[in-house]
Amino acid sequence: MMTRKWIERIEGEASIGFEFEENKVSFASIAFPHFRGMEAILQSKPAMDALVIAPRVCGICGHSHLFAAVRAIESVYANSGFPLEISPKAQILRELTLSLELIQNHFKWLYMVIYPELSHLLQRPIADSCRLKGAYAASLATKVLAIFAGQWPHSSYMIPGGVTCDPTYVDTVRAMGILDELMRWFEKEVTGISMEEYLSISSAKDLSHVSGDMRDIDKMLRTAKMHKQGFSYDRYMVLGNHGFSNPSKYMHRRMAKVNPQLVMLEDPYTVDEKTYAKNALYQNNAFETGPLARAVTNGVPFIKHLHRYFRDSTYTRIMARSYETALLLDHCKTLLQSLRLDEPSFIEPSKKITSLSEEGVGIVEAPRGPLIHKVTLNKGIVDHYTLITPTQWNLSCGSPQTQGPAQKAMIGADSIETATFTFRSFDVCSVCTTH
Amino acid sequence: MKPRLKVLWLQGVTCNGNTHSFLNYPHLLYVLETFEFLYHSLLPSTYTLEEISTCVHECDILIFEGAYDPRMERVGTSLETLVGHYGSHAKYVIAAGSCASFGGMFKHSDPEHITGLGFDEKEPKGPFASSPKLINLSGCPMHPEWMGYTLRMIADNKPIAVDELHRPKELYSYLAHHGCTRNEYFEWKVDSDHFGTKEGCLFYKQGCRGPMTHASCNKILWNDVSSKTRVGTPCFGCTEPDFPRINMFETKTNMSIPQDVPVGISKRSYLTMAGIAKSFHIPRLEKRLIDDDA
Repeated sequence: MMTRKWIERIEGEASIGFEFEENKVSFASIAFPHFRGMEAILQSKPAMDALVIAPRVCGICGHSHLFAAVRAIESVYANSGFPLEISPKAQILRELTLSLELIQNHFKWLYMVIYPELSHLLQRPIADSCRLKGAYAASLATKVLAIFAGQWPHSSYMIPGGVTCDPTYVDTVRAMGILDELMRWFEKEVTGISMEEYLSISSAKDLSHVSGDMRDIDKMLRTAKMHKQGFSYDRYMVLGNHGFSNPSKYMHRRMAKVNPQLVMLEDPYTVDEKTYAKNALYQNNAFETGPLARAVTNGVPFIKHLHRYFRDSTYTRIMARSYETALLLDHCKTLLQSLRLDEPSFIEPSKKITSLSEEGVGIVEAPRGPLIHKVTLNKGIVDHYTLITPTQWNLSCGSPQTQGPAQKAMIGADSIETATFTFRSFDVCSVCTTH
Repeated sequence: MKPRLKVLWLQGVTCNGNTHSFLNYPHLLYVLETFEFLYHSLLPSTYTLEEISTCVHECDILIFEGAYDPRMERVGTSLETLVGHYGSHAKYVIAAGSCASFGGMFKHSDPEHITGLGFDEKEPKGPFASSPKLINLSGCPMHPEWMGYTLRMIADNKPIAVDELHRPKELYSYLAHHGCTRNEYFEWKVDSDHFGTKEGCLFYKQGCRGPMTHASCNKILWNDVSSKTRVGTPCFGCTEPDFPRINMFETKTNMSIPQDVPVGISKRSYLTMAGIAKSFHIPRLEKRLIDDDA
């Protein structure tokens, strides 16, 4: 007997079919019913137009799609024998605005999804203004982003060879001011302790110093026993190369190198529901992606500690994403300080894109994990475009024998509500999953 | 307290970009105090989407985001039914973004079946074709202030005059070109040699649609701080019915003359002016804006 449940208040909707044995979830199949055909829209378009189209894959992580698209086109140049030079300034700006997109995403997820859903689960309603906190913090992050990228959502300021903007120190000073304001807000509302202190915590015990919303969330998560459930494969995958990530896989408690060419797509397992999401696997294995994966492979002390005690529980997963927000805020500050504006923003490619017929791959770490864009150009026109999004890893739908990470994490939950809360701990985005 | 106006925010074929754009709005508290959201995917709402899909409720304002495909289902109910029910009772129907206004990006996923709520590109078509209720807030995405303006005007019972494409005139009579920091380069026909500089106009080579695009992006800045053209990205004309065009980073020219000229200006007038302006050699505009060597 399968009970179907619509999951709302994620990016789009999902439908999950639950099977129960002895009052516990014994199997859950995930379906995403909406489809737009982004890959087909990109086909036959001039390569540069991909920089306008790709961000429209997703309203919350479109900047990551822009970055992946520009890296894919730059890889076409490299594979054609004309590697492009990207100035350190352009590289820093790209990484800065990507990090800011991750930050806005994490704030919205924490305050507009996790905090209210957790309160709902424990029947402890919180004020509507809680959701607005997420929107406010996110809007400060996107304001800093827009100083360099022009706007958020849907900027197209990254182009093969660099970025279109040519900021002055007036812009960076302004950016620093807003970033400072966001960090002060974070200290006051989220943690109640200084950024420095929060970034130096290394164990669950240190959390007793925390007094802001994080303390409340931490307590509620434990009350809901989220540290004792939501376990998945304890296998992690990071593919995007940035200052805040370390491309590698973690399996059987060991780290190892990864080869993105071994990423494969598989049709989903469906019972009685149409779904458009293909499963992403690595050598036939399911891997969890996103902030927890990045923290484990990057050796973030606090998250490594939680992971040692609570493995990949829903609690660890949520703490990892929340904590990454602080790490990224700090990273943004470092990036802003290291910007040298006398370097060029853009170095003109020596070859016209219309002369290129090659394949290229662009990989970045998006809010939910590795985002892969693969493009084949024929004289500068898109012959073929493939998107593999992070949610295709986490939210993949396999059979009882080949379950995806979120499916496996829901097994054993004592109710549909608890199971769907664990589902949300993966930061669900249906828009990206099906594209 | 007077009863709050009931708003329903529905999504069609979309990337959710207008939802996220609106979350940047600095006065969300006012919005929540003045309007009751029957449903919004992230803001506090009275009902779940599943409850909304039963079509037993009514709203005063229907906000629709995304392209319109009548056959598409949201939690089991077709958009035709949802939009038909809620739209017929609503006093205002607001199309949030270019997909909902004209079909936009996602019209391209199925051009035969997908349109905007009242337009198929610039041709009237769809469930609200020629309806006086329809307000189009085109843009990919729409600017949060444009939605904030529209909602507050409705709450305050003030009339919103619209253009022939149902866009509020006070927002869309401006061109994206107005307020662009590169205007002087446009006047004197100094083009931008390549991307990544603050100097030069992007109209001649880089495909900028600013002078042909109805939008107040350089008047009401994005995220309160900037705009595409201010960071050296050409305007792609995302508020117009023909968005997305082809070759958006390139200006289409005939014998090195731009094919499209600013709105409402005859090609002859434009070419005469451009010819004269170009004949002058203005060293200040050919140098870097901030001369480090001086």
